[in-house]
Amino acid sequence: MLLIPCPNCGARDQSEFAYGGLRAPLPPLDASIGDWHTAVHLRSGEMPVREELWYHACGCERWIVVSRNLTTHEFAPKDAS
Amino acid sequence: MTQPFRLGEGGMIDRTQPLSFRFNNTSYQGYVGDTVASALLANGVHHVARSIKYHRPRGIIASGPEDPSALLTVMDAHGTTPNLKATEIPLRAGLEVVSQNHWPSLQRDAGAMLQAGSKLLSAGFYYKSFMWPKDAWHRYYERIIRRMAGHGEADISPDPALYDKRNIHCDILVVGTGPAGLAAAKTAARGGATTVIVEQDHRLGGTYLSGDASDRDIPQDAEQEFRTLSNVTLLARTQAFGIYDHGTVMAVQSRSGSAARAIMWKIRARRILLASGAIEKPLVFPGNDRPGILLAGAARSYVRRYAVKLGNRAVLAIACREDRAATRRALQDAGIEIAAELGDGDTLLGTTGRARLKGVTLRRSNGQRERLACDLLCVSGGWSAAPHLFAHAGGNLAWRDGLGLVPQGAHPLIAPVGGARGTFDTATARNEGRAAAHQAMGELLMHVPMPSNLPSPVPPARDVIASGHGKAFVDLQNDVTRTDIAQAVHEGYDDIELVKRYTTLGMGTDQGKASWVNGIEEIARVIGQDATDIGHTTFRPPYSPVTIGALVGAETGRNMHPIRRTPFHRAFERANSVFQTSGDWLYSRYFPQENEDMSTAITREVNAVRNGLGCVDMSTLGKIDITGPDALEFLSRVYCNNFATIKPGRLRYGLMLREDGIVFDDGTIACLTPDHFLITATTANAGSVWRHLQKLAQVEWPNLDIHLTDVTSHWASLAIAGPYARELMQALRPDFDATREAFPFAAVRDGTLGDDLPVRAFSVSFSGELSYELNVPAGYADALFNRVMAAGAKWNITPYGLESLDVLRIEKGHLSIGTEIDGRRTPFDLGLGRMVSDKKDFLGKALLTRPALQAPDRPQLVGLKPLDRTQAIPPGGHLTHEALTGSVQKICGNLTAAVHSPTLGHSIALAFLVNGQARVGETLWVVSPLAETSVEVEVVAPHFYDPDGARLHV
Repeated sequence: MLLIPCPNCGARDQSEFAYGGLRAPLPPLDASIGDWHTAVHLRSGEMPVREELWYHACGCERWIVVSRNLTTHEFAPKDAS
Repeated sequence: MTQPFRLGEGGMIDRTQPLSFRFNNTSYQGYVGDTVASALLANGVHHVARSIKYHRPRGIIASGPEDPSALLTVMDAHGTTPNLKATEIPLRAGLEVVSQNHWPSLQRDAGAMLQAGSKLLSAGFYYKSFMWPKDAWHRYYERIIRRMAGHGEADISPDPALYDKRNIHCDILVVGTGPAGLAAAKTAARGGATTVIVEQDHRLGGTYLSGDASDRDIPQDAEQEFRTLSNVTLLARTQAFGIYDHGTVMAVQSRSGSAARAIMWKIRARRILLASGAIEKPLVFPGNDRPGILLAGAARSYVRRYAVKLGNRAVLAIACREDRAATRRALQDAGIEIAAELGDGDTLLGTTGRARLKGVTLRRSNGQRERLACDLLCVSGGWSAAPHLFAHAGGNLAWRDGLGLVPQGAHPLIAPVGGARGTFDTATARNEGRAAAHQAMGELLMHVPMPSNLPSPVPPARDVIASGHGKAFVDLQNDVTRTDIAQAVHEGYDDIELVKRYTTLGMGTDQGKASWVNGIEEIARVIGQDATDIGHTTFRPPYSPVTIGALVGAETGRNMHPIRRTPFHRAFERANSVFQTSGDWLYSRYFPQENEDMSTAITREVNAVRNGLGCVDMSTLGKIDITGPDALEFLSRVYCNNFATIKPGRLRYGLMLREDGIVFDDGTIACLTPDHFLITATTANAGSVWRHLQKLAQVEWPNLDIHLTDVTSHWASLAIAGPYARELMQALRPDFDATREAFPFAAVRDGTLGDDLPVRAFSVSFSGELSYELNVPAGYADALFNRVMAAGAKWNITPYGLESLDVLRIEKGHLSIGTEIDGRRTPFDLGLGRMVSDKKDFLGKALLTRPALQAPDRPQLVGLKPLDRTQAIPPGGHLTHEALTGSVQKICGNLTAAVHSPTLGHSIALAFLVNGQARVGETLWVVSPLAETSVEVEVVAPHFYDPDGARLHV
């Protein structure tokens, strides 16, 4: 039960959020099939700090980008927009 | 009976409030303030259980949740609850408890003869014995052994009790209210921190409660103070059973005499002061499991707190001298004669007695043997820390001789204090509690920083009391002996994790609270390593068993999931609708007339739509409002089809792909003004499409100037469908021109009906008939339905539900989410390949071109008709080249829908068939091994009804 920093609402309980997976920016729509394959299917598996997306579904409905340390669950917010 | 072993005075029981209860069908009496354990002991009942494997008589060893043996079944108005610890059940009037795991009775248990064959039941016996002949374990032995072994029986009837969940936030959470916890809680509470205090017992105080009378006043005074402070929440009878991320502590509060039997607390604390105390270590010696052998601390608790005279003549085998002196004082105050005390170098050789201890054999350090008659033996090998929750949170534990497993290093949120970190001295524990609370408040910037810098705990001096040879139990709950551990190691299971699993040491409902430290020492001794080096198994939540009811809470039956009702729900109830759940929704299924069955109703409803007029609820469709100069560009990227030329007042069908080219959702795109669009998503995907678009707008393409609003629940949407739909539309008196020329198919109009009802009308059709979807603000649903029914009466307008909606769309070959659009299909698979634009870039375009998604032998959507029109195509069937053979068959496709078509008068089906689009006209078989039927079918295009769409423009 994480405490996730929402830039709009402050630190909020994980139960208010939906996990959006690792942050993997989409390539331009006219990019090659190879670029799209990399963006959609390949993940670096980098440890321990990773950039993730969380959706504040039961709050402000903002998608937030955070970096989370998978060993300590320490969050560092990154502004998405 | 009148409590023959109750002392005349003292204790924290209320002698003015006697309580009657029953144990194994005999009535006993206790007092308010008792636990079942203390009340039984006050009545001289020590033998309360039979052990899991050997059915040996067992008694009450401890006074808290660490007791391994005294598991009882409680029967009350809620049903029966097995495996509750006698030491944890507060006594209440009329309580009925029974013992477990014996036949025919606790006193005479046939299972006890298993002791004779105990060699067959040694560690890991189920891997070795009872294996012959082949399969005999599964066929005979397992059933018998499972019946013979174990704890209480689960009550399989529904639990009528109420449970609830609550959330609470605090600055400082204090777990435990012994000397350290109480000092910490007082400091935090007085310092102004919002403080939550949890105590597993129904009374605060921990070890204070088994001390002298002056000790017992301390927690009572503190409790009074806590109750007056508004910043303190005090939760007694509450077990903190697990610590999770970011200061989350889960605790379950047991309640009796209230509507809710248990409350699950989710506590979010900024700092946690862990004062969970220490657990006394039993001694391992031959015959150490007889009823009448108690831990010394528990004995003091029963005497001091519960005023129970535990026996008449006691032997003390207590390693710590201070504990020995305190126990001696307590027993002597209770009038119990001390027969002997063991000291350094003395050896416990064995015990006698069956259901109750009768004597102890020992050898003095000078070699002299003694046989002593006694009915009470108080044992203690010292104390060991109980830092389980610290370990749950990822804190490290390290072994220290004389302290057990103690916290190692600091944790950012959790500070163990007192017994939990190995400090067993009361005064030091108090100081630690205070210091840790000050440090926590300093860290939270509530006062100046005050690092506590607690010194390392020092193990108290202990005498060594040795053990003779013989059957000595390390883990009483699982009947694990010293021999079992030695045997496990001998057989090669010489890692601590393996010993645990092979012998079951430390498993069960007590998770080895009282046995684990002895277990580690025993394993270390057998392996010949230092206990510091052999490590420990992982501590996981829950610390103590949590009833499933508390985990579930109030979310049972109808409360398990919220129910959404559409704005037409009340109106449909009046129209005699039968409802069904569809996702979150309670949706109308069909509208039976009088005694009509479902299939008759469906036929009537479908015929009404095809030949006259019907109406159906479309409110569950997702509706998303998109505004801004880049709205068209945004939608153009999201949908795979091209609608660059869309004009205000018109709408298009839209197909949305995932990033990987697979079809995600379909719906309509309505252009209201050049920078204002309204799109629909399917009912099932209303949430996920909204989330998807939000992500694209916020994260991927933040430069697009658009604004998204979810307006799904703003609108009540009723579709009128059938050849007379336009006449009804006009009869509703719209303020816009609703003629065929002015309001063609695929258009949208804003206006009013009858000069006062605001409406947004879409000319779209899911049924395949001429149709309008009338959207009004949700609050006007009743008004719209009433007007439609009144104006439509001329054409006998027929409300229809989900069943007919499905039949109509299958006849028309329209797609449904979850059946045809199932997360595996490309637009080409669905026969929508022509929709994919090659004039623009869109999401999913690149990966849709992957060769495997373009291969010709993919399953493609087709329609099926039975060759013999009287036969029904079985739903869920598979496509093959032959009839059902009864053995393995090669299939070439599978059905997604099969219904009887009232319009065509025979069965029809939709299916995915390998390379299906090129196989129209072939003859195949639909086989269903489940229904044991085969139907020969003809492959046709997936549009059975009006394939050219002529009826949409009538």
